[in-house]
Amino acid sequence: MASVRRDRSERLWLRYLILGSWAIVCLAPMLWFLTIGFRPRTEIIVPHPIYWPSWSLDAWRLLVSDWPIASYLRNSVVAVAGSVVIDLVLAIPAAYALSRYEFRGREDIGFYILSTRMMAPAIVAVPIFFLFKNIGLLDTVWALMLVYAAINLSLVTWIIRSYMLDIPKELEDAARTDGAGDLTILREIIIPACLPGIITAAVIAAIFAINEFLFTLLIASTSKAYTMSVALANFTGGSDGIIYNAIALVSFLAFVPILIVVILIQKHLSRGLTMGAVKG
Amino acid sequence: MASIQLNNIVKRFGSFVGVENMSLDIADEEFLVLLGPSGCGKTTTMRMIAGLEHPTGGQIVIGGEVVNEIDARDRDVAMVFQGYALYPNMSIYDNIRFPLRMRKVPADQHDRLIRRAAEMVELGAFLDRKPGALSGGQRQRAALARAVVREPQVFLMDEPLSNLDAKLRASMRVQIKHMQRQLKVTTVYVTHDQIEAMTLADRIVIMNRGIIQQVGTPDEIYSDPANTFVAGFIGSPPMNLLAGEARDGIFRSEGIEVPCPRTVTGSVTLGIRPEDCTVGGGHLQGMVYGVEPTGDITYLTVQTGKRAVEIKAARDFRAPIDTPISIGFDLSRLYFFSENGERIRRPA
Repeated sequence: MASVRRDRSERLWLRYLILGSWAIVCLAPMLWFLTIGFRPRTEIIVPHPIYWPSWSLDAWRLLVSDWPIASYLRNSVVAVAGSVVIDLVLAIPAAYALSRYEFRGREDIGFYILSTRMMAPAIVAVPIFFLFKNIGLLDTVWALMLVYAAINLSLVTWIIRSYMLDIPKELEDAARTDGAGDLTILREIIIPACLPGIITAAVIAAIFAINEFLFTLLIASTSKAYTMSVALANFTGGSDGIIYNAIALVSFLAFVPILIVVILIQKHLSRGLTMGAVKG
Repeated sequence: MASIQLNNIVKRFGSFVGVENMSLDIADEEFLVLLGPSGCGKTTTMRMIAGLEHPTGGQIVIGGEVVNEIDARDRDVAMVFQGYALYPNMSIYDNIRFPLRMRKVPADQHDRLIRRAAEMVELGAFLDRKPGALSGGQRQRAALARAVVREPQVFLMDEPLSNLDAKLRASMRVQIKHMQRQLKVTTVYVTHDQIEAMTLADRIVIMNRGIIQQVGTPDEIYSDPANTFVAGFIGSPPMNLLAGEARDGIFRSEGIEVPCPRTVTGSVTLGIRPEDCTVGGGHLQGMVYGVEPTGDITYLTVQTGKRAVEIKAARDFRAPIDTPISIGFDLSRLYFFSENGERIRRPA
């Protein structure tokens, strides 16, 4: 008995060791990055790494005094959140139709939606620039919101559709004989049942959107519409050279909103990522 | 409450015929069971009554009204599904409440109706649970409560007990029958389980390949089968069907010789139920193939030629295998079927 118990506790100890090590491997770069953000510039470009740097708020002061970092962050959050809302509003009904109704060309439409993601973004960059120029939305968050939504719409539709396919048809039949119409079924039965999938799709879309660079650079030309991802690029050129500590700090700030979102919905997300993959 | 008429209903899925030219009158307050092997069109028939499938041809009448063009949600029909189909995100209370909300039943009546329905299926203590936290039997009872709560004109039940274990199935069966008698609602029940059909039904409809084989009370179906399909489908073990030749009032087949009506001639099939055979008697000569005591009865399998004949023998009957045995038939309970499988009835 005693040896069995010791075995088990040793195994538990080993498990924590492995998981702990893995956590450190995953988290270390981020922590290292954060420390870079709080070092003086002189301590960053040195031949040997400094493990115990002297702390400095140089980068922070630079950001606050010279750059409207708060408005970048706000632009990012507004454009990304708005685009996710647009995606969900459009994708949920589309996914429902693609997963449930029989109509001619259903598979083709499904594939067409997905195929919009297969194109290299650079191909449409110039037309999109002129499109927004003509409708007077250049250099606004609204344009970014629309572009992000367009980029991710196909992916969001496809993910949600795969979840809806897994919902038993019986549930809808039951709701129909209970007296529910299509919209009620969608709102009261389908959406709650595939909520993990919707959340997963929303988080993936948000991550893609917050990291989007090419179209943001094209559309945003002043701080009116700059987002975190484009703002980062501003620290790499100019007469000051590459400002690594500011880059590190801004990267970290860009990463925080996504981290918060993921932590908040962790339960749904892990369920969502596995549930869609394995049937049953 | 309502009667249901099906007039020449046809349902095709592409070139596949689901239901072929089906006509059926279901009386008000009747408990009708659709029985048949899987793929026989019984569930399709039920789904057409519910409005979940659209018939390719024919007419469906519920309570005197043609409902072909009426959507499922506007038919006053409640359905219980094989997989329960409880809404997973709602509590049992909200599941039972859903049809009341959808049918715009005044909100101040909801609570009373829900509790009454839940009491009827003995689920009162589980109302605030989610379906995931209930056992299979409790889920099925919740599904029943959801169906009865709004007192529909018609109940439709699609193999509601097939996901439950045998013991639970038996007790649920009684519960369903009791509830139907209490509520007096016309009920159509689909199953492939003949015990369920025999015990529940006022009338049974036996279907095969989309075609009605026979409609009748359980007694009629059992003791007066219309053809070999019905004879071979009902009964456990089912009726023995033995092909042979009849001439001059005698039916002969390998190892079998029995008197038959003089009107029966040519290639025919003899049907005899296992309980109408007795050990000893000399109508059939064969070898003992197997003896299976079950306690209250012993199943005896006799081989004659290449055929096996099932016999229900006395509980204490025992015999070594491969010994010769003689079997007698109750001559008043012989059935004869023509080559196409139809029953040859004695001229009245």
